[in-house]
Amino acid sequence: MSKTTEPPLSPAHTRKRSPRDGRSVSSSEDLPEALRVEPLVAGDATLGKLDDDIRYLSEAKPPRSWYVSLVVTSLMALMGFTAIGYMVSTGIGTMGNDIPVVWGFLIINFVFWVGIGHAGTLISVILLLFRQKWRNAISRTAEAVTVFAFVCAMMFPAVHIGRPWMPHWLFPYPNERHLWINFRSPLIWDVLAVFTYFSVSVMFWYLGLIPDFATMRSRVKNKVKGAVFRILSLGWVGNARQWIHYEKAYLLLAGLTTTLALSVHSIVSTDFASSMVPGWHMTIFPPYFVVGAAFSGFAGVVLVFAFIRTPLNLKSYITERHMDLLNKTVLFLSCLMAYAYLMEGFTAWFSANTFVRYIFANYVFGDQWWAGTLTIFFNCILPQLLWVPRFRRSVPIMVLVSGGVTLGMWLERYTIIILSLHRDYLPSSWGVYLPTPIDFAILFGSVGIFLTLLLLFLRKMPIIAGWEVKSDIARYNPPPSQPVGGLEAEHA
Amino acid sequence: MDRHSDRRNEFPPDAFEPVEPPSEAEPVSRRRFLTLAAASAALAATSACESPPADTIVPYTKKPTDVIPGVADYYASTYQEGQIPYGVLVKAREGRPIHIDGNDEHPFFNGKTSLRAQAEIIGLYNPDRLRQPVVEGRLATWKEAEARVTDALSKAAKGNESVLLLTPAVVSPTSRTVIAKLQKALPGLKHVAWEPALSLTDRAASRALYGHDRAPRYHLEKAKVVAALEADFLGTMENAVEAIAGFTRNRKPAKPSDAMSRLYCFESRMSVTGSKADVRVPMKPSGATHLAFAVARALHEEHGVPYPEGFAAEALDRFTLGGVSHRYGLDRATVASLVRDLAEARGDSLVLTGPSLPPEAHVAATLINTMLGAEGRTVETSFSADAPPLATPSEMAALTREVASGGYAAAIFWQTNPLYALPDAKAFREALARVPLSVSLVLSENETARACKVVLPVNHWLESWNDYEASTDLLSLQQPLIRPLYDTRQAEEILLAWAGALGAPVDGRVGGAAAGEADYRTYLMARWQREVYPAGTLATFEQFWTSAVHDGVLHREVKRRRSRRLDVHAVAGAAGKAGGKHEAVARAAEKSAYGGAPGAGVELLLEPDLRMWDGRYANIGWLQELPEPITKVSWGNYLSIAVDDAHERRLSDGDLVSVTVGTRSVTLPVLVQPGQATGTAFAALGHGREGSVSGGRGTNVFPLVADDGMPPFLHLEASLSRASGNQPLVRSQTEFSTHGRDIAPVWSLADYAKNAKPPKPDRSLPTLNPNVKWGDHKWGMAIDLSACLGCGGCQIACQSENNIPVVGPEQVARGRIMHWIRSDVYYAGPTDNPQVAHALMLCQQCDDAPCEPVCPVGATVHSKDGLNEQVYNRCVGVRYCSANCPYIVRRFNFFDYTSTITDPLDLAFNPEVTVRPRGVMEKCTFCVQRIRNGVQVAKDEDRPLRDGEIRPACAVACPAEAIVFGDLKDPNSRVSQLSRSNRGYKVLQDLGTRPAVTYMTELKNPPETPGKKRHV
Repeated sequence: MSKTTEPPLSPAHTRKRSPRDGRSVSSSEDLPEALRVEPLVAGDATLGKLDDDIRYLSEAKPPRSWYVSLVVTSLMALMGFTAIGYMVSTGIGTMGNDIPVVWGFLIINFVFWVGIGHAGTLISVILLLFRQKWRNAISRTAEAVTVFAFVCAMMFPAVHIGRPWMPHWLFPYPNERHLWINFRSPLIWDVLAVFTYFSVSVMFWYLGLIPDFATMRSRVKNKVKGAVFRILSLGWVGNARQWIHYEKAYLLLAGLTTTLALSVHSIVSTDFASSMVPGWHMTIFPPYFVVGAAFSGFAGVVLVFAFIRTPLNLKSYITERHMDLLNKTVLFLSCLMAYAYLMEGFTAWFSANTFVRYIFANYVFGDQWWAGTLTIFFNCILPQLLWVPRFRRSVPIMVLVSGGVTLGMWLERYTIIILSLHRDYLPSSWGVYLPTPIDFAILFGSVGIFLTLLLLFLRKMPIIAGWEVKSDIARYNPPPSQPVGGLEAEHA
Repeated sequence: MDRHSDRRNEFPPDAFEPVEPPSEAEPVSRRRFLTLAAASAALAATSACESPPADTIVPYTKKPTDVIPGVADYYASTYQEGQIPYGVLVKAREGRPIHIDGNDEHPFFNGKTSLRAQAEIIGLYNPDRLRQPVVEGRLATWKEAEARVTDALSKAAKGNESVLLLTPAVVSPTSRTVIAKLQKALPGLKHVAWEPALSLTDRAASRALYGHDRAPRYHLEKAKVVAALEADFLGTMENAVEAIAGFTRNRKPAKPSDAMSRLYCFESRMSVTGSKADVRVPMKPSGATHLAFAVARALHEEHGVPYPEGFAAEALDRFTLGGVSHRYGLDRATVASLVRDLAEARGDSLVLTGPSLPPEAHVAATLINTMLGAEGRTVETSFSADAPPLATPSEMAALTREVASGGYAAAIFWQTNPLYALPDAKAFREALARVPLSVSLVLSENETARACKVVLPVNHWLESWNDYEASTDLLSLQQPLIRPLYDTRQAEEILLAWAGALGAPVDGRVGGAAAGEADYRTYLMARWQREVYPAGTLATFEQFWTSAVHDGVLHREVKRRRSRRLDVHAVAGAAGKAGGKHEAVARAAEKSAYGGAPGAGVELLLEPDLRMWDGRYANIGWLQELPEPITKVSWGNYLSIAVDDAHERRLSDGDLVSVTVGTRSVTLPVLVQPGQATGTAFAALGHGREGSVSGGRGTNVFPLVADDGMPPFLHLEASLSRASGNQPLVRSQTEFSTHGRDIAPVWSLADYAKNAKPPKPDRSLPTLNPNVKWGDHKWGMAIDLSACLGCGGCQIACQSENNIPVVGPEQVARGRIMHWIRSDVYYAGPTDNPQVAHALMLCQQCDDAPCEPVCPVGATVHSKDGLNEQVYNRCVGVRYCSANCPYIVRRFNFFDYTSTITDPLDLAFNPEVTVRPRGVMEKCTFCVQRIRNGVQVAKDEDRPLRDGEIRPACAVACPAEAIVFGDLKDPNSRVSQLSRSNRGYKVLQDLGTRPAVTYMTELKNPPETPGKKRHV
């Protein structure tokens, strides 16, 4: 994407509203350059055009490239399901798990996808609470990323257990055997946290979709589709009364989700932190995992938008400014990660504990030094490119950095899980993890599942929160006859 | 362990008829009555041998009064391996033998037995066993097969042709009479007994010195100083069980001032014995003879120990300590301290030489033992039976030539496998092709049976009767535990039948009986009545016999032999020979520059494998999977070479090398072994057998055995060359350094005096957990690492007791071995001679077990009596417990490992222990089934539990008595006392797991003024 295709930095419109205070600002020529604010919509977006642009995606016949991609990702997913089927019918031994490395790729993948699944919430909810208007255009897709990532993530704990036909035994439900779960086990906290987070995320996502479903219901011509959207839109008519309740519910749910977004990965981290494995038993783990999750989540969202902006013609709504802001967040989180790694290493050294010191040295100097070293490179060093403003808007660079971060965060979980387990207290029991083709088939299969769901979403659902972006359009591209304000005023 | 011989076996319908009613003339006490009832049951059970096997097994409709389903029976029996008849006690459940321990009434073994004997349960239920005769490669009836053999034998008898009978060592006096009977009927019979795992160099020495073949009994428990020259008496040498028990008795001091023996070990490879040595000196095996003669001379010269009467002192003149030390690179002070210790111990000492060493070395060792007066104290021959004559490899080579030259009408192989274990098997195969009839009497097909025209399946020893001569004053009896599983016969019966068919008069019912109707039990009893039953005994023969069968051993009053006198001229002759020979070797060594350029010679040592012995156990998965104690290699053998040799030749673990001796060459993977002497190599015999279990694993190194003279297991000039390829070794442990972690400390006695203090109290770390109130008991264990040698006996016992699956080499290589108890090995110090620490590791049954809180479903919980319990039914297999276990003792069923267990292997399962399905975690339970049983028995008998009444399988099996189990709530129990030991510690104690297992620090007893080089 070249600069020239973008609308000029200072648009022709003379009156604008600052995104912060809603007050009028004079045209950009009146302001010193440093104070100029780039608009969150670009081009000639209008309310009607937005509906046309977004709804078009689900109304028109998808292009051939979509079908090709869907076939590829479905095949990947199929490969994953086949591998899982084989593994479930044959045994955990088909993967690289052994004694002492009893947890392998499946747990890495679980933590990895839970991490990716943090983007939606953080973007959608926390930025909403912080009144960051730039979230509006990206929140819907980010939430979808969350939901789909969690679908992938939740598959892993179920199939990683030795007797996968008994996952219900991990839930507290009354039964005739008078068996109860052990609430002291972090795995139970984990199950509860992940399920709670997933259900609230789905609710939040769905709540946001209601007005858009209503729009689609009004536009759709096909009777069957119309019936579906009628059910999905739950009788939404968009009157003021509904909006008042809706906005309250949305805000309340956002508040609830925020706490969950912080808690879920904290609790996932207790799977490790509350054990006594050197390298896992660290108090820094909960915040460190949350930061890591947000980091990988933001990188994941950057990757998704970098790929869909052009083909889906979304540049007017997801502008370079959006990408710039996302990349800034990635950079900020990268610095936080570097701090976390440093603190972790310092704690290991300061503990003067032989076992812990050995494990940390082993991450970067041991037989699998590449895992720890690449983790640091991809997560802390490569993202420093984003200090350069030009790079934050360059698609190749952001794909490189975010792809690196995604890979780096997977490697980080590899380092934490495998490298901590493979050389713990008794050297006599040290071992290695030798992944098998099944391990990789399941890993890439989960990517296939995620991408398949994402592709379906991109073509079948409203991928931009229309009602929220409309408020932005109203602010930045007000139709001459229409007064500005609306939602904005209510929010304020 | 109670012995109930008043329980019955799995019976034929007629078994419940009293066979031998008690004599009514005698008053019968209640006790006597029970004994007789037991006897009749035992006899009835075994009279099944006569009747054809029942087609169906019908469950009890009317339960026999003395069979209690669920209550185990124990029967004494005997297992022969090589020249050793091991007295064993076999546990049977509902007629199935399921576990083997030592016979506690056997004075040699005291309830201990070899790990190979324990694994014989799998030998019995081996699915590969032949189920009926095979003639010319197709299944046949006994009648057909017997007719084929007896026809040929009759023809041979008439034509006065030769017939070869190749057997293992015949230790049974009754078997000997069977062979003699056949010999009489068949004058051309040439009986050759052969044990491929025995080098017989010690026999050659004994014959030279004393003119007889009596193997002495070593009393290591009496030895204060032991010197082992290439002698792995705690590992691969015959009868290590008795040696371990004796040796470790002096290795467990309770306080620093207690006496502890001192073991000097001069050896080329790192053996189990070397790992326990107080002073271990790596040296080439070629130096051992010189060293032994030099020590003898130094004892005389420096300490005034007299030579035997008439010995010409000048025969040893050329063997000086200085010269020997210089030539073989030994530390002079170390050798001097050995001489001093030997001189001071005066007879409470023992010098042992290994089977690989030439006869001259054994002569030298005997000389030292005789000079010091150890003869008659630690070396005892007063009741030694005459060892069965055995063929050496060179005699076997001569036999091969003889067979090849023709004139043999038939060759009979009785449980021998020359086509595998002969150095020149190819020549024997060609020779065998010229013999019109070849017969193999085997359990399951082997290399030889496949080449034989008639293959007759024989009974397993657990299905057989026999007697064995353990010593002149001790007979050991073998009784069947189960009816033959298949249509098989005992080998002796087959021979008797042949003799009968050839017209020999045979006692009792056997005489004149048609082939296949011989009854060896009757024959055995008849011989006992005639020859063993002492005249004028008050008990009837039946009482006498029953009591002997019950005990499994029979003590006889025989005259103690006077101590033997050695032939001093033979000693001088050996010294002269050794001197000359070794001068030549030393010169050759200088020329070829040992350890020099690749291709140069090394000294190659061969020894039977600790697990495979001569290869007969190759199809027992338990033994194939058991890691070798020092190298932790399972499934296969290797060529172990020194670290600096490997460095020089650029070889690393798993690289294939060709070992060439003369014209024979063998390719096997290298193992770089710390402690291996430079310029030497070692390979274990017994691997590389064909078979469903062993197939493709390991390499047969029997071709490297020298069959042109003594010694057969040692080559001074073997050449190594790199072969292409790599064959990764399968090891259960890959890291051998402690990385400075204080997990397996080793103290010298001086350290002990300095460090001795009771272990830290349990509550030394703050904890949030409430102090648990234990119930009636709190089980605990104490493991004395000073005694433990890592032999693996406990592992096999545990495997048998707890139904632990064999997972195969690929799974072991992936780190999925299932052993609940394992023996870790750690090396410390220089790689040319490291100190080895063995650390037995099993579930520590922690009071604050890290595995328990993390289990999401509560499948691992703590019992009131301190056990960390694993509930298989509840386990869903999240494996968090294993991740959180700092001792890594939990084992996971990554696959359905029991699916490979085919009929009838499932009969070997212990019905008291759940067979675990795929996907669940398992671990040591402290043999909870034995605990519950013991508690219940005590409760039933309304008495408190006795200390030592409950013993887990590992503790029962441990020949070193290193494992003590008991109740920690009882302050006077042995385990409580040991747990308070001043050398006790708990592994990773600072983690706050509060293990229930206390380890006692391994102790070494190095000389107080060691030389420049401290070995500890």
